Amino acid sequence: MLLRGSGEFELQGVMDTTIDPGVEHSPLLGQLVDAVISRRWDDVAGFREECVKAMGLQETVDAIAVASAFNGITRIADATGIPLDSGPAEATASMRSELAINDFAYGEKSRKYDHVEA
Amino acid sequence: MQANLFENCQYPVRKATIDAFAGVWQRTAESGPFWTGRDHMAIIQEARQSLECELCRRRLEALSPNAVDGVHDSVTDLAPVAIDVVHRIRSDPARMSKSVFDNALANGMTDSEYIELIGIVATSVVIDTLHQGLGLPVPETLPGSDAPPTGQKEPEVVDDGAWVRLAPRDGELNEVGIPRQANIIRAMGLVPLVIQLFFTVMRQAYYISNLPISIQRSQAEFIAARVSALNQCFY
Repeated sequence: MLLRGSGEFELQGVMDTTIDPGVEHSPLLGQLVDAVISRRWDDVAGFREECVKAMGLQETVDAIAVASAFNGITRIADATGIPLDSGPAEATASMRSELAINDFAYGEKSRKYDHVEA
Repeated sequence: MQANLFENCQYPVRKATIDAFAGVWQRTAESGPFWTGRDHMAIIQEARQSLECELCRRRLEALSPNAVDGVHDSVTDLAPVAIDVVHRIRSDPARMSKSVFDNALANGMTDSEYIELIGIVATSVVIDTLHQGLGLPVPETLPGSDAPPTGQKEPEVVDDGAWVRLAPRDGELNEVGIPRQANIIRAMGLVPLVIQLFFTVMRQAYYISNLPISIQRSQAEFIAARVSALNQCFY
């Protein structure tokens, strides 16, 4: 999603903490992002201050801003069922399979959740 | 009533960001093509309320959200079908499915009304998350306009594999100057106003178009990818 494909980090390390994604301060950024998205605001306050010490004030604001932006834009994708763009769809086919990202496909989600008796 | 965003913030939010967000907040209080300004504010209030809603909580705990029936804890006079869409997309985006969209249409909502509503929710999520992430309360909703919806010139849209019709993939610039190539840029093609509102805040928060950003691009991508994974966003 709008990722600019810098190719500068290991994608499997985005969620798997046993893999170093090769991104500076990624453990702390990951904790901050998790707390923001799960709305654990007391934890956010702590991680935010840790980020300020480790990265700086403006850097901390920018990190939270990016998380905020993607917290919004993912909802547009999820609510409209848009397909992958053709370029990324081809380029990421094996990676999506390997990481089970295809389980999140909108057709798959609809198959899972739309045929349940209340 | 003037929109005051990021008041008393102890962190350095850029002036361009504050101005852009405040302008969008103010514009959201005005009527759009298919909903009044008052409706927009009600949509935002319901989005916030969904986080306290008992039905939404029970659905989150269920194997499928569609296995749990009930009535949402609501705080506005929006129609139940609108409240259901707003609560689902705010509280459980990972499990949005086509039946939510189909059910909205079956209950009288048009696809354009659906898109305007989604755009308002998504825009408010960015604004609220950045405020709360910086230790601030969410901005107060404004008294929304009761002026009737404005309508709009019929936009050019195409069927292209999504639940909704999309803006054409023609490489033309969208309402905030981003090329219409990626599907996420085309997704709200039915209502150009919400493209403008959403991408005005998105552009400032994700630093699109070479806006200044102090973190490394790999850090921004790492954060973006992690949020997408946490929200189980396929796209």
